Amino acid sequence: MNEVATARPHWTRQLADRPLAVLAVVLVLLVVATGVIEPGFFSVRGIRNTLLFAAPVGIIAAAQTILMLTRGIDISVAMVGTLAAYLVASQAANGIGLAVGWALLVGALIGAVNGLVVGVFRVHPLIVTLAMSAILLGLLTQWAPTRFRGATAIPSEIRTIGGGSFAGNLIPWNALVWAAVAVLVILGLRRTGLGRMVYAIGDNPVAARLAGVREWQVLLAVYTISGFLAAVAGLLVAGRVGSVDLRLLEEFLLPSIAAAVIGGTSLFGGVGSYTGTILGALVLGVLNTMLTYLDTGQAVEQVVFGVIVLALAWAYAVVQRRTG
Amino acid sequence: MTTDPSAGAGGGLPESTASGVATQPTAPRRLDPTLQVVRRYAWPIAVWLLLGAMILWYSTLIPQFTDFQVTSIAKNSLPAVYLALAQGVIVIAGGVDLGAGALMVLANAVSANLMEGQPLWMVTLIAIGVVLGAAALNGFVGYVIAVSGIPDIVVTLATLFIFTGIALIVLPTPGGGTNGGLRYVFTGAETGVGTNYWPSIAMIAIPTALLAIWLGRTRSGLAIYALGSDENAAHLSGVNIRRTKITSYAVGGGFAGLAGVALTAIANSGDPRFDNAVNGTLNSVAAVVLGGIILGGGMGSVVGAAGAGIVFFTLSPILTAMGVDPNTGQVVRGVVIVAVMVVAGLLQWWRRRKQ
Repeated sequence: MNEVATARPHWTRQLADRPLAVLAVVLVLLVVATGVIEPGFFSVRGIRNTLLFAAPVGIIAAAQTILMLTRGIDISVAMVGTLAAYLVASQAANGIGLAVGWALLVGALIGAVNGLVVGVFRVHPLIVTLAMSAILLGLLTQWAPTRFRGATAIPSEIRTIGGGSFAGNLIPWNALVWAAVAVLVILGLRRTGLGRMVYAIGDNPVAARLAGVREWQVLLAVYTISGFLAAVAGLLVAGRVGSVDLRLLEEFLLPSIAAAVIGGTSLFGGVGSYTGTILGALVLGVLNTMLTYLDTGQAVEQVVFGVIVLALAWAYAVVQRRTG
Repeated sequence: MTTDPSAGAGGGLPESTASGVATQPTAPRRLDPTLQVVRRYAWPIAVWLLLGAMILWYSTLIPQFTDFQVTSIAKNSLPAVYLALAQGVIVIAGGVDLGAGALMVLANAVSANLMEGQPLWMVTLIAIGVVLGAAALNGFVGYVIAVSGIPDIVVTLATLFIFTGIALIVLPTPGGGTNGGLRYVFTGAETGVGTNYWPSIAMIAIPTALLAIWLGRTRSGLAIYALGSDENAAHLSGVNIRRTKITSYAVGGGFAGLAGVALTAIANSGDPRFDNAVNGTLNSVAAVVLGGIILGGGMGSVVGAAGAGIVFFTLSPILTAMGVDPNTGQVVRGVVIVAVMVVAGLLQWWRRRKQ
């Protein structure tokens, strides 16, 4: 493998050494291709629409990235975000601050429950979060026509943040929220003790434990963060859509995991960064816009999206193997 | 893998194979052969006893418990059972298939679309074709996983979307149909409604038994356990890793296809909605976990998973009979899964401390 690699021309080897550069190239190619399909993409509206989709994906993918670094995953993000959206809609009458506070608190609490079961009782995260998904879906299906009846209108402030934009209609507010999340996550992973411990327990749990890391506390913290971020994304999407329903965040689950994976974060823990995930979320955002322009219908869109996510993940796996 | 609920107890496999490490402490003690069998299959037996208790309870809840109710439970749980078997094989081999429900929906859409108005022999051919096609398709998914090195979760999450997308293209709105003969095979009546429960029970028992025998008694079946238990050890003992991985996904795909055909026979139509796919996958993973198969692979029995599939299905008529919103079933299911895993984890911790 190594001999083949050194025999290659200079520039391909360089690319193989920098997987994020490869991803950036893919992003540029996709942007150009989308521009060729629909020149209007390079307009204010095109960029705005792409960011509107990419921002919630990026925010949920931040949660997935942190969890994957600890060998975890969170399937319940879509339902947690949907619950948060319902809560805001039903509490809106009591003041926007209180409503948002409640929604984010409940999101974080559900995340904490996930973290407790994963961290203390050592149950596989896939099972825990799948089960949490089922529980929340069951509750929401019952509550939507009863407890949350009439909770369909989203407060205008959230509509502005979720779907509005500034700077000449170019940059959506939700991209600003995403930027804030990105700064916090990148700094948090690089500069804080918790960030180091996240990498440590994902890389080698036994060594981390022997070094004095209390694994369950770290897991409790990261799943709580995941629930919180899912709630934030839920509010943003609800703000963009303008109403709440049970399938509000369904279309964001696969992209959130895919963004982290094609951004180079390993599901087996310890390897990856949020920078890659941001690129991944942008790639998926452009892809989504491109498919909207092609106007193929929901079904074909779903197939193409799945195939491209697979192809990108595959390409990444190949590149990674060549360098590693 | 940190959880290990049925170490030494829930295996449906000979002790000399995959679960060697886990069963070693109990091996030197000689037990009564019957007791040994009970011990080895303790988890699946417990699941089936639970199912029996639930059905007994259900019969006291409703005014009349007749052959009709038995038939209804048996035939309507068929798709859940087949999906549990599909997920079971794949999880035992160390994978997980989030696209299993989507493959069922795709098979349902294709078969309902093709079978409408066809004679029985043609419908039979189509059914066989759909099952084999699903096996081939999922075998390809297994090939992609084995060759690319992308984690199972990512690949099958993608196929969840790809397969439901194709199903929507094949059958944009619910519709299609099938032949009375096929309906008889799965439901015991050409109209799909009746009191003859033997065909449905046979359609549960025969495939489950065949799969369990293949997994526990043949070379290729044991290779599945070996792969899930320890990939390196399996490779060193001469198991072809790639082929075994593909086999597990192909067999799982065949059962998911069978689930789709059963759905067509029961409903006499196809329904390509995304929710059906997601619920199918969720239920199959839940059944596998309650059935005592360990996520991560190498241990457990598909017989338990099949029983757990019926247990989860029976939950909704019981809740309805109790006057509870059937959506509570979803909540109960989630809580049961986590509770089972927590208790299993505690048991394992306690056992380790005792030694």
